[in-house]
Amino acid sequence: MSRYDKIANNIDWGLLSTTLALIAVGLLCLYSAVRLTEVSIFFKQLLWISAAFVVMIVAFLVDYRAHMRLAWPMYVLMVLGVALVLFVGREISGARRWISLGFVSIQPSEFAKIIIIIWMAYWSEKKIQIESYGMKDLILPAIFILLPVGLILLEPDLGTAGIVAMIAVIMLLLLGVRRSTVISLGALFLSALPFAWLTLKDYQRNRILTFLDPSRDPLGTGYHATQSKIAVGSGGLWGKGYLQGTQTQLSFLPEHHTDFIFSVVAEEWGFAGTAILILLYIILVTKIIQVGYRAKDRFGSMICFGIAGYFTLHIFINISMTLGIFPVVGVPLPFISYGGSFMFMNLLCIGLVLNVAWRRFMF
Amino acid sequence: MEYANPNIQGQQIEEGLKSRGKYLTAFVCLLFAILLLRLMNMQIFKGTYYEEQARNNRLRIISIPAQRGKILDRNKEVLADSRPAYNVMVIPEDIRDVGNISKKLALILERDPGEIVEKIGQAKQKPFSPVYIARDIPFTQMANIESQLFTMPGISIDTTNERDYLNRGVAPHAIGFLGEISRKELEKAGEDSGYSPGDLVGKSGIEYVCEEKLRGVKGKRAYEVDALGRKMRIVEEEAPFSGEDVTLTINKSLQLIARQSLGERPGAVVAIVPETGEILAMASAPVFDPTMFLSPMSSESWRAVIGDPMHPLENRAIRGLYAPGSTFKVLISALALTEGFVTTKTKYYCTGKYTMGNTSFRCWRKEGHGGVDLMTALTVSCDVYFYNLGERLGIERMSGFCKEVGLGRPTGIELKDESGGLVPSVAWKRRRFKQPWHRGESVITAIGQGYTLVTPVQMAKVMAAVVNGGKVMTPRLLASTPQRLEMNLNIPKEELDTIKEGLRAVVDSEMGTARVIKDQMFSIGGKTGTAEVAKGYTSKLPDESDIPFKFRDHAWFFGFSPVENPEILVVAVLEHGGHGASIAAPIVRDVIKGYYYSKGLSDEQVRQDSQ
Repeated sequence: MSRYDKIANNIDWGLLSTTLALIAVGLLCLYSAVRLTEVSIFFKQLLWISAAFVVMIVAFLVDYRAHMRLAWPMYVLMVLGVALVLFVGREISGARRWISLGFVSIQPSEFAKIIIIIWMAYWSEKKIQIESYGMKDLILPAIFILLPVGLILLEPDLGTAGIVAMIAVIMLLLLGVRRSTVISLGALFLSALPFAWLTLKDYQRNRILTFLDPSRDPLGTGYHATQSKIAVGSGGLWGKGYLQGTQTQLSFLPEHHTDFIFSVVAEEWGFAGTAILILLYIILVTKIIQVGYRAKDRFGSMICFGIAGYFTLHIFINISMTLGIFPVVGVPLPFISYGGSFMFMNLLCIGLVLNVAWRRFMF
Repeated sequence: MEYANPNIQGQQIEEGLKSRGKYLTAFVCLLFAILLLRLMNMQIFKGTYYEEQARNNRLRIISIPAQRGKILDRNKEVLADSRPAYNVMVIPEDIRDVGNISKKLALILERDPGEIVEKIGQAKQKPFSPVYIARDIPFTQMANIESQLFTMPGISIDTTNERDYLNRGVAPHAIGFLGEISRKELEKAGEDSGYSPGDLVGKSGIEYVCEEKLRGVKGKRAYEVDALGRKMRIVEEEAPFSGEDVTLTINKSLQLIARQSLGERPGAVVAIVPETGEILAMASAPVFDPTMFLSPMSSESWRAVIGDPMHPLENRAIRGLYAPGSTFKVLISALALTEGFVTTKTKYYCTGKYTMGNTSFRCWRKEGHGGVDLMTALTVSCDVYFYNLGERLGIERMSGFCKEVGLGRPTGIELKDESGGLVPSVAWKRRRFKQPWHRGESVITAIGQGYTLVTPVQMAKVMAAVVNGGKVMTPRLLASTPQRLEMNLNIPKEELDTIKEGLRAVVDSEMGTARVIKDQMFSIGGKTGTAEVAKGYTSKLPDESDIPFKFRDHAWFFGFSPVENPEILVVAVLEHGGHGASIAAPIVRDVIKGYYYSKGLSDEQVRQDSQ
């Protein structure tokens, strides 16, 4: 058995093909969404995907354990990035989230998600202990998590900040935290909510209020939610047919190539299509968790669990926002929504998981 | 390189991590299950609901107005016309070069370009909803714009229906007017009626009564729009059905004469065919412009119409209530003759007053008329003769007869809100005033004063019944309404002739109260009437013109022709017109003359016919 056969045998082909299937579905939907308005978006996405595959291969080939050394440098770079964006970021509708690099714009907060995962995994590897973590153990990681979260909140990007924080919380809970600590931290969080409300921007409050009562503003902030629900529901069991969705093709759905792309799937392919898509996502996430179980070290497991949480949170928040059971926050749908930075992140994660899966046989 | 240390402790920790990893799987499954359940609910159970919503989103259904039916006179001449009107519309978002297009339009429409620029600017406030730049433009301008449409993107021509009334309303009260449907009317009509806000509906007169027939059925055009409301394609189209025309019994030329001779003096004229009950003319004054309600009115001009002390909207022909005055004597004559209380020979002596107990009632002629029989009593309008009849007949007999011939209730003409008038009786007075009836009141009732109130159309109906020999015909305005005989009083020929001769002499004889309208061409029978408004005023002042307008008496006259076999009967009443003969009678004569002219008879023929 040659070295290359061994590589081939140990690659998680199931995870890779699920990923490819999701990307294919995404391209079909994206084409339907933009063909009448701005078809160039579709070709840009093709370009992003090709580039992102290169990123995936690199993430797969470089031994993930090397990232333990890079955990701190990456963390520092990331914090600098999200801080920088506050000063030199391009302002789009009241938020500074993008840094322009001339030919392309990048979103540093997008990278914060994966760097937090790696940093947390690194921290857990360093802080292995038998008993569950107590309050004292958590002070340090809490500070290092809340620093980027706070900066992202200042942009402001509520969705990303929330996801970064939630990924960290999920990872901590998986590492084992004392029950009493969980309860007291939970209580602290709940009592902080009213203050958080006061610091929200007007449009953010509006989105939340409108989520609770969409009829409050049917043509303004409630418009997205209402039109998206109509698109999803009118898809019915079998959908209106590919390229036949009236909500999509007649532009009733705003942002239908980015945050609301799930409603394109739902409208044109119906419940049959959405159920299959969700099934694909379940396969993807459970496969990632499985890789985490089998990883040969804690660092690898925690990376996989973090990535599983990363995907799950994105998928759940994005779809439930489309279905009107979550406020409208700017969270894209993995592999389907248009966007270069996000596609890079998605495939980078897949590359890392493939990496962890592959290297469990190599010592 | 520093790798993780796979020591014994590490193995234990891996186990703990694995067991907590199961929670992660469970958590992930729970979240996805929530999504699937929600999707199932939305897409399978509520799919039809959302499908309907998506449909409403993308389909705009506009209705194509149906052409309203015309209103024609008895000779099919148009009284109310329906015609297409061309309007210039603009969708400001589709306009590129506002300055250039405004200049072009201004040239064709003969307007100031600045005005058009301003209108387009206003329209920009409401994106993608069309705004009218000009309404109801002439056909030539429309054709001119149409031919240049391709050079003016965003401009379009749209067609609506306009109502045109002959002479801006020859009979605005009878024909009525159109106005925008009110919220109440819309609710009453219901969902399936096809009415929508902004529709014009008949608000009064024939326009109201024949609404269903006139309105037609709207067409529909369904087209698909995108999120910005831009038309993408027409999905479905249904052509409208025009409304049916309505033919009236009105004769246009008589109507014009009635309208003109009445002028702006408050009052009413009704012309009727005695044998059939067909209304030939119905005029009420003052008039209003029926077209002013077609477009939304300012509340000021609305208040001006509603608050006008002369009540121009009121159709006095069917709603004006007046004491009948001496015209009532004709009815009393018919009653007394048919009931056998008097014969044509019976005479009463008039000394100028009639005494009952310690009250005395004066005849209009202080010196008295001497001995008068029925015919003379009608001719000279002797009050004393009828005081006698009134006392002998009694109120119950008189009111019973009045009700029989059709007073005290609406005549049944096709118009809405007709007044019923008032026929007093013992029971009525007890109910109304809680007082007993006085015999003296019967006496003045017989000369048409007192409580009795009639409308001009009631007057036309009952007088027609007397002169046609007792056939009470329901008056009608629509050619399609079948002729209806309510009852027959069967006035014997001889007695009928006596009454008619008496009425002929009113005009013909030297003693007649309406001799001023005597005409060589045709015979007229008729009766004057003066309805007292304020009792006692007339006798105290020497000259009628010294009496304040609102206290002056109402002037009545009804006339029919030819006397032997009446083809037309005309009633005129002028509010505060004073004495009936001088002012109301000429109107009646003019209408009757117009009738003969419209029949196409020369003066010669007219005279021969009536002899």
